Amino acid sequence: MADTLDVNLTRGTLDLLILKALSWGPRHGYGVVEWIESATDDALLVGEGTLYPALHRLERAGHVEAEWGLSENNRQAKFYRLSATGRRRLHSGSASWHQFVEAASRALRSAAPQEA
Amino acid sequence: MSDRFWRRAFRLETGPKRVERDVNQEIAFHLEMRTRKLVAAGFTPDAARAAALADFGDIPGIRNECLSIGRDRERAMKISDLWTNARQDVAYAVRSLRKQPAFTAVVLLILAIGIGANTATFALIDALMLRPLPVPHAEQLVTVGDPSQTGSMSSGTPSTDVVSYPAFADVRDHVTTLSGLYASAGTSSLDVRVAPSAPDPAVTHPRARYVSGNFFAVLQVHAAMGRTFGEAEDVAGGSPVVVISHAYWQRELDGEQSVIGRQISINGVMLIIVGVTPEGFTGDVIGASTDLWIPLLMQPQVTRYANWVDDRNVSWLLMMGRLKPGVTLAQARGEVSSLELHSILDHAAPDDRPIVEASVRETQIRIEPGARGFSYYRSTYARALVILMAAVVLVVLVVCANVANLMLARSAARSREISVRMALGAGRSRLVRQLLTECLVLGAAAGALGLLVATWAVRMLLRIASQGPTPIPLDAHIDGRMMAYTGAVSLITMAIFGVLPALRATRLDLATTLRGQGRALNALGSHTGGFGIGKWLVALQVALSTVLLIGTGMLVHSARQMATVNLGMDRDNLAVVSVEARKAGYSGPRLEALMRDLVARVERVPGVTAVTYSKNGLFSGSEGATGIRVPGYEIRVDSEKYVTFDAVGPGYFHAIGAQLLRGRDLSDADRRGAARVAVINETAARFYFGDTNPISRSFTRHDTAFTIVGVVRDVEEQDVRAAPVRRAYFTMSQLAGSDGSYVLEVRTTGNPSNSAKPIREAVLAVDRALTPEVDPVNSLIRQSTAQDWLVVQIVTFFGALALVLAALGLYGVMAYSTTRRTGEFGIRAALGAAPGAVTRMILREALTLTALGVAIGLPAGLAAARLTRGQLFDVQLVDPISLITAVVVLVATAAVASYLPARRAARVGPLEALRAE
Repeated sequence: MADTLDVNLTRGTLDLLILKALSWGPRHGYGVVEWIESATDDALLVGEGTLYPALHRLERAGHVEAEWGLSENNRQAKFYRLSATGRRRLHSGSASWHQFVEAASRALRSAAPQEA
Repeated sequence: MSDRFWRRAFRLETGPKRVERDVNQEIAFHLEMRTRKLVAAGFTPDAARAAALADFGDIPGIRNECLSIGRDRERAMKISDLWTNARQDVAYAVRSLRKQPAFTAVVLLILAIGIGANTATFALIDALMLRPLPVPHAEQLVTVGDPSQTGSMSSGTPSTDVVSYPAFADVRDHVTTLSGLYASAGTSSLDVRVAPSAPDPAVTHPRARYVSGNFFAVLQVHAAMGRTFGEAEDVAGGSPVVVISHAYWQRELDGEQSVIGRQISINGVMLIIVGVTPEGFTGDVIGASTDLWIPLLMQPQVTRYANWVDDRNVSWLLMMGRLKPGVTLAQARGEVSSLELHSILDHAAPDDRPIVEASVRETQIRIEPGARGFSYYRSTYARALVILMAAVVLVVLVVCANVANLMLARSAARSREISVRMALGAGRSRLVRQLLTECLVLGAAAGALGLLVATWAVRMLLRIASQGPTPIPLDAHIDGRMMAYTGAVSLITMAIFGVLPALRATRLDLATTLRGQGRALNALGSHTGGFGIGKWLVALQVALSTVLLIGTGMLVHSARQMATVNLGMDRDNLAVVSVEARKAGYSGPRLEALMRDLVARVERVPGVTAVTYSKNGLFSGSEGATGIRVPGYEIRVDSEKYVTFDAVGPGYFHAIGAQLLRGRDLSDADRRGAARVAVINETAARFYFGDTNPISRSFTRHDTAFTIVGVVRDVEEQDVRAAPVRRAYFTMSQLAGSDGSYVLEVRTTGNPSNSAKPIREAVLAVDRALTPEVDPVNSLIRQSTAQDWLVVQIVTFFGALALVLAALGLYGVMAYSTTRRTGEFGIRAALGAAPGAVTRMILREALTLTALGVAIGLPAGLAAARLTRGQLFDVQLVDPISLITAVVVLVATAAVASYLPARRAARVGPLEALRAE
């Protein structure tokens, strides 16, 4: 990873990934981290801890709801669940994210500008 | 809501502590899971833990970030929780109040009356006594002179209550502590024609004031249209201009834009409108909004028969100045009074100088804060308003006690509901909050209703206060400040009647209440516990009512005295007819001829038995004094030479029904050229002549000798309350300087109002310009005592209100008590108690309460009676009639109010009592 270009994971993108991680059902914070790592081949998440403030911010905004429950190994864990507004946010967010990425890729792939 | 909701429901930990624990636990869980995974992948536990920590990143930083987010969220939720709870409480309160419409209606009605009465009285007090003039920095203004003398004019020895124009000019030109000093004075009634060129122009008599040119500059009021006055208006001879008020412009000139430059005729003089004042500015006199401002120096032209401007002996101006920044009232007082005194003394006649000095020694020149302007009504109504406010406060207290009692009874009735809710785990604070919310809802609704009551009551008060042709033009409206006041009153009332019952209601013994209100015999011993406060509240109401009733009794007694007191004349079947002879242009011999003519004409009107006339009239507010010298009487103090005098027509005393003690009435023979004669009153006779017979003795006035031909019993001509003064009566024909407008006194066989029309026609037949007005003397007397009547009527109303409320309270408490004690009565009946015994027992209880209340109320009432002292006429401070009446009324009311519950209690049979268990 050291020789790859440092593309910062913007807060918006991380939010989208978290919402996506929760779209199949409630997960605890560690579960969200695992999903993001596996889904992106460890490419995106630099410090795992940065996930938690993002999660709590989403909770404060009402996009996710939290509840304490038992984990797969019978430990107390805080489970997050997508709320209705969170789901709407995921849909609109990923649509505009795709538009943005397409526009950016088109620009990166474009040939030399044509002289007028 | 989920997590928090359940925590709430099961009383789990919430708040900042929990946030911290949650975050720690979450991070620990993450690290544990990661370590476990790495161990599974083959790491040693220590290495795995180290890697997990490294992967996580900056733990303290992340932890803090999470904590601050969590706390934010907690705060937001707490606020929304409060809001939700409040909304729930309000909704619940509205629902439970609507379930008992009768209770709610009664409470709302009582509260609205209390709050409304309070707000209305406050609105009047505010308009008259508190609200400052709507000018910039009103707090810098100071008044010079007696602020109540808004329409006074005195000629003779210079006064300091109002001053002459030259004296004003001296002070204005030399004062250094004030940035400006203006003078203003009321005008006599003016004939104003706004459309003088019209064929038959309408005449109105607006309220106008003469003001010096710097009036608007000192008040810092700028014209809304055109200009105000300036130095040009202070040039000798005056300038023929006028500034009109916004209200007058709208009312009389239809708000016409082209009004500037238009000419209107005032007493026949053409004045040009140069400006309109801003809306809301009504001049410097509170309680009498000014329509027109005329330059002071125009006075000799506007009132052609008199020039007051150049005469140092005509005192007619009030002054108002603006303090320079940094100057204190005391500094200004010192400078202005010394300037004024010097100006007066330097020019006073030698005779007048000691009088002025003595009067200034006695009462300093009045220089007071002027933010509230001048006001005639302020001084006359201030005491009345204070009494009203005191009465209103008493009523509000009775209202509070009553409502508190109702709430108490209600919460007791709801004790089962409350104990069920407490058993189900509702917190006491939550229940208290909820009961308080009910009070708040009641209070808010009552406040809104109270504002409506107040708006109506202010109008009614003003109408009662100003019966007759001259309504008090007081701008007492309900504004934002009034609403704030009402809000505060409602809240305080709510707090008083709400907190106590709420606290009591939740301090229940759960077990006893749920078991069924205790057994009957238990109630015998314990009913006093939840109920003692109720009894005290009733006793308090009775006490407050006692105070009000004593006050009411004394005021009514006083008003009756006033209405029937012997004024020295026969006040029934007597009318006065004002005749504007001076304005119509009569003077000297022509005036005498006119009056003779008028008497002859009016005497012929059917139902008229006697006609005479006088210059000052009866209860007209106009009096004059003159100095006389009585040979043989040595004057020790200057004031001893003054007598109040009047110029009258033949047969004056016969016509007004005064009693001649000695000698004869003035007659037609006492005319110009005949021997000069006078009649004096009893007080003057005793003062100057002692026990000797004054008939045929003489005195001199202005070096002219008059022979006394009669002594008349003292007549109160102007003021029912005034002590008799020395009076002298002359015939008009024999008195120099008796020109003026006269009043006819007409005696009729029946109610003088019935003859008003033919009398007016008889006067108009002589000269249409005389504009006669006919008023029965009794209605003039009534007007002169209007504020006494206002106080009597309103205090009576409040007294009755308090009595009804106290009766309701007593009835409520007794009814409630007897219902709760059904079992006890049943047992008594079973044990052989006669029904009469039970009735007597209840009545005795009610009367004990009443006696307790009266015992508290009587001394309080006697103390409070001092407040009404200034208002009383011919009534002692300890007035046995009022005291006995109050006690009898209260005891009778209490007996009636408790009789129904007592009868019901007596009819309880043993079976009925058992069924009630």
